[in-house]
Amino acid sequence: MEWIRFAVGAVFLLIGISIFAIELIGVYKLNYVLDRMHAAAMGDTLGISASLIGLMIMNGVNFLTLKIFLVVLFLWISSPVSAHLLSLLEVTTNEDKESHYDSDENESAGRHEE
Amino acid sequence: MNTGIVLLDTVYDWFFLGVLIVLAVFLLLCLIRAIIGPKIADRLVAVNMVGTMVMVMVAVLALKMNEGYLVDICLIYAMISFLAVIILTKIYLGVYKEKKMREEESQ
Repeated sequence: MEWIRFAVGAVFLLIGISIFAIELIGVYKLNYVLDRMHAAAMGDTLGISASLIGLMIMNGVNFLTLKIFLVVLFLWISSPVSAHLLSLLEVTTNEDKESHYDSDENESAGRHEE
Repeated sequence: MNTGIVLLDTVYDWFFLGVLIVLAVFLLLCLIRAIIGPKIADRLVAVNMVGTMVMVMVAVLALKMNEGYLVDICLIYAMISFLAVIILTKIYLGVYKEKKMREEESQ
């Protein structure tokens, strides 16, 4: 019985760590800050929740499990607020925003016609 | 982790050690990203990621060493990292606006 608990918890923990790896590859390959924030938010929500759910399964029904669940809940509530403020900082202090927007002068791969 | 079976205890120990080593390598790569990144917001995003990875490491350590109170440290660390991002953003916005006002006054 304990072995089944270890196996299920280990699968969740490994899924969480692979999501952190995908997030790290994304932050290195993308070019602009607001694109990198898409990748970083993936680790903040799905990566940490999968890892901590794996740890909760390994622990059984306990008071410690409830405390770990409180950590996940606080992070889910506070992470979008900090992402919003970071994007506000980037849009306010950027002198040359127009080169990143999709306007008529720099259209990409000819998606829009005329 | 304290189950009754001796073999399962050693398997838990080595598994948690492997997870901690992999997360430490990811943390170092995030730190390199914080040094490289050309703008301020790049560095703040990387510091946020470092905080999240530290939280997973502290929770894994709490199970490995069988000490329950390390999860309280994890919760307090989440609050402090959230507060740090907000305060740094407000400071940088204030510095930028002050520089703009000083440039407009000197013209």
